[in-house]
Amino acid sequence: MKLLTHNMLTSHVKGVSKGYPLLIKATQVKVNEVDFNPKFVSRMIPKLEWGALVQAAEGLGHRQDLPGELVSDYEQNEDFLKKVHRILLEVEVMEGCLQCPESGREFPISKGIPNMLLNEDEV
Amino acid sequence: MAEPRSEEDLIRYFCTAGNGMEPFLMEEVKKKLAAEDVCQLPGKVLFSSSAGIDKISDLKAAERLFLLLKQDSPLRISAHTSSAKAASVLQYRLLGDKNQWTGAVMTWSRLQGELAGSRTTARTPSSALGLMIKIEEGRGSRGKEEEEGSCLVESRKSPEEQREEENGNERLKSGEQNGTRTLEKKRKRNHEEEEEEAERKNVEKGKSAERGRRREEEAETGMDVEFNSYHGTDVNQSTTDLENNVESSSRTMDFTERLQNVNTCGDKDQTPLIVGKSKPELSSSIPVSFRISCKCTGSLSRCFSAQEVSSVMGAGLSRLLGWKVDLKNPQLEINVYLGDDLCLLGIPLTRSPLAKRSYIKTTGLRSTVAWAMTCLAHIQPGSRVIDPMCGAGTILIEAAQEHEAACFLGLDIDDGQLQKASENTAFAELGHRIHLLKASSLALPLTSSSVDAVICDLPFGRKFGTKTDMAANLPLILAEMERSVLLIKIVLCVGGTLVLLLSPQLSFLLKKVLTGPSSHQEAKPPPGTENSPSPSVCATKQQAKASPQLSLLPRLSSLRHEATFRVSLGAIDGLIHKYVKTEC
Repeated sequence: MKLLTHNMLTSHVKGVSKGYPLLIKATQVKVNEVDFNPKFVSRMIPKLEWGALVQAAEGLGHRQDLPGELVSDYEQNEDFLKKVHRILLEVEVMEGCLQCPESGREFPISKGIPNMLLNEDEV
Repeated sequence: MAEPRSEEDLIRYFCTAGNGMEPFLMEEVKKKLAAEDVCQLPGKVLFSSSAGIDKISDLKAAERLFLLLKQDSPLRISAHTSSAKAASVLQYRLLGDKNQWTGAVMTWSRLQGELAGSRTTARTPSSALGLMIKIEEGRGSRGKEEEEGSCLVESRKSPEEQREEENGNERLKSGEQNGTRTLEKKRKRNHEEEEEEAERKNVEKGKSAERGRRREEEAETGMDVEFNSYHGTDVNQSTTDLENNVESSSRTMDFTERLQNVNTCGDKDQTPLIVGKSKPELSSSIPVSFRISCKCTGSLSRCFSAQEVSSVMGAGLSRLLGWKVDLKNPQLEINVYLGDDLCLLGIPLTRSPLAKRSYIKTTGLRSTVAWAMTCLAHIQPGSRVIDPMCGAGTILIEAAQEHEAACFLGLDIDDGQLQKASENTAFAELGHRIHLLKASSLALPLTSSSVDAVICDLPFGRKFGTKTDMAANLPLILAEMERSVLLIKIVLCVGGTLVLLLSPQLSFLLKKVLTGPSSHQEAKPPPGTENSPSPSVCATKQQAKASPQLSLLPRLSSLRHEATFRVSLGAIDGLIHKYVKTEC
């Protein structure tokens, strides 16, 4: 699971009002090399929940020096874009789980794919 | 490409297309190939383009690609005509001028060479193209790039004309040009588009250098054309030893055709190269082998069977050009279509249909239809696109191939499907842009307004065998469909697009569900669900998450229907619907 995906995920367990963002408990993290596409990154940034991204990156120990607040005029800042690219697409949680911040329910991640299926009673 | 193409480089092609795909294909050729004279016929699109063959063979909405040989008004033969007379009309109308045939074959040959040249280092499995490698004499080992074959072709005019036309047409290269580049170097640079032109030149340069080495004398007049035989790698790989000399009594010059012997190179075969001598011969030798496939529809099918047409034409062509019919393993395949609307003759340019993608291992939905759906989704750079029931991932892969600066998420409840999707994604080398999630479309684990486009092939109802099964499960199917659509609507941004593929029956039901009763205030529960109090129109999203009742129909009305397209999915038809999310 990449952090780009994590940024969109939320818990829909019954009764939960704030299921976002999910806490990451990783047991295996991989870092891949992915072609850098600045256009993609700069267009993606405004759509992200920046705080959740930084928090997730920090939790994985991969925050490096990502700022807590989005810098303005980041589109021309290739250095910054590369850092974001790295954290969005190159860092991958292969094994572990995602935890609902409210209910504590854990969603396992296996082979990079999170399992978000809910049981009947949770829906 | 640096050089602008001249008018003469406009080549006319036609593509077959699945029912309903024609408008998509027309759009595509106009947009990607700057095509001119685009004509749409049922199941076919004809167009002219000067774009490179690698771009043309990259068309996504087409089934098969052909070089147009001849297009003519339909044959009118009454059923009373004697078969002899009918045969002669056929031959007269369809065979026509010798030069047209040889010209077309030369163009075809050249295109084969270009195609192979640009694909040697591509991921295409060798069986997909099935072309052969020509190795220059004296070269030892081939690089590992040469996994697939290439069919190299060179056509040359006499030296004088060569010098004149050197700049314009890559087909005509003078032998005096620097032939230092090797085939190996050429292959390494395949991926760069601007090199494409240079590569073709190199091919010819390389070849001319080689020819220069091998012989001193050259025909001073006349056009030398070499083309190589064209074999599938999955078929018999024996070296062919054909030479073809065709003397044409053409208008301004004589030409000799020479077939250069080739080395086949499949994954396993390593047959030795035999290089033919290039002497200008006027006597005929072993001809090109060909096969005719014919399709007769409409009123003509009463006069002829496809077999009859094939054999009449085959005989005629043999006589006209000295070619040989080979039904099993021909070098050239000629497609004849005789219908009430027109006659069409063409030569297929690729071994396997364009619709069979080289980058997809296991298909689910037809790639052409999947691609058409992604067209409708209005994907932009930075778009987040999801497929909530992705299956093997066909839709996402087509979308990712087309849009490089967007990201894609596939969801499925089934491990087996996710496994296939994962394999497909890895195979297409799109793993960094297509991400997968195990989740249910009935409980999308995504934040609201987090998605720019949803593209989905809703499988509802297809797994049911009989009509009674369907009918019995209809309430459930409908309820699930409704819920999925509702959740999709929630995760979509305002202005986001939803593209759905449904069977015609379910489309009808969905339409009722989406447009709902005329009053927006009343909630009308679909059959089979329990009654619940109608909520207010602008219920908050929070409420929706907490109590996802199916009766929250009014909220679905913020999905504006924009278009519907009917396409063939093989045995059945499907309907593609496009919706845009509007403000609540």
